[in-house]
Amino acid sequence: MEKITLFNIFKVFFKIGVILLGGGYVIVPIMKDELNLKRNWLYDDEIYDYYCVSQCLPGIIAANMAILVGYRLKKFKGALVSLFAMSLSPFVSIVIVAILIQKIMSISFIEGLFWGVNVSVIILIYLTIKDMWEKSIVDFKTLGWFLLILILFILKVSPVLLIIVSITVGLLVQLIEDKKNA
Amino acid sequence: MPSIPFSLFFEFVKVGLFTFGGGYGSLPFLYHICDKYNWFTHFELTQLIAISGLTPGPIGLNMATFAGFKTLGIPGAIISTFALVLPMIIITTQVFRLYRTFCSNRYVKKVLYFLRPTSCALIGGVGINLIYTFVFNNKFSFASINYGALILLFILYLSSFKLKTNPVLYMLIGGVFGVCVYLLN
Repeated sequence: MEKITLFNIFKVFFKIGVILLGGGYVIVPIMKDELNLKRNWLYDDEIYDYYCVSQCLPGIIAANMAILVGYRLKKFKGALVSLFAMSLSPFVSIVIVAILIQKIMSISFIEGLFWGVNVSVIILIYLTIKDMWEKSIVDFKTLGWFLLILILFILKVSPVLLIIVSITVGLLVQLIEDKKNA
Repeated sequence: MPSIPFSLFFEFVKVGLFTFGGGYGSLPFLYHICDKYNWFTHFELTQLIAISGLTPGPIGLNMATFAGFKTLGIPGAIISTFALVLPMIIITTQVFRLYRTFCSNRYVKKVLYFLRPTSCALIGGVGINLIYTFVFNNKFSFASINYGALILLFILYLSSFKLKTNPVLYMLIGGVFGVCVYLLN
């Protein structure tokens, strides 16, 4: 078994950053393979637990998972190393592509490529919502809330404000319920 | 007006702090930033979506890096990426101790009860935006419907019964279709 050192954590998460393509749930099988099957650093159910928690936390799911795993292995330093290592190759490749893109924009069919990818994102968003719908829209209250937020967002209300309002309403409703039951 | 590096930093701290739902969860914020500042154009936003999906790495992280680069070059990319992950480093390491009970806490549950439909709606809003841009060519009229886009959507919808897993496949199909349409015109 490879020893759990900061350098080895760096190596594993650097590799995850290189091979992770597509985001979302893709991270779970990759982490299971690298951290559980190949190295036995974690139990596989821990990885599923971290995935669940990451979905409740603000931010990027894959990054939160890297932080949780890093923290579990080597506390705060481990979290910093795993996050940094995982972000390194995506950062470099995005910068390189962003520089190149200005050069290849003159190749005419690149415009067609962007167009097609963006149209496919419409379907990806549809699939994302379809996936989230069952867990999110559970009754008429949540359906009403969904429509309200959708309209406000289309009217260009800041999404930051809409998230803050949602969190505040959630906390207040629970506080009121607690008061009633007390 | 605060200087651009400061605004860039604070805008992406907000993205890191208020994004829920991963993947395209941070897109609503990028649309908002795009409307609020002139750091990048709507066209560059479509580049950003395409490239972030087709380049290795978490999409949300890629989008932040690309947006920062478009705003202020490499320093901008460093600022936006760092700003994005800063709230996560602080919050997630604090939550670690309670990770087994965090999601079943009744306050967390009630907040998520409201937050989940909100995420759905925000991402849905971005979807509507994309439909308006790419299917209706930015006009509210049936005459402006882009039939190429409708056909592509139909093909992708049918393929979604077969290929559920990786979004990259959808993007590749879309990209190849887009190039073909472009060459035919």
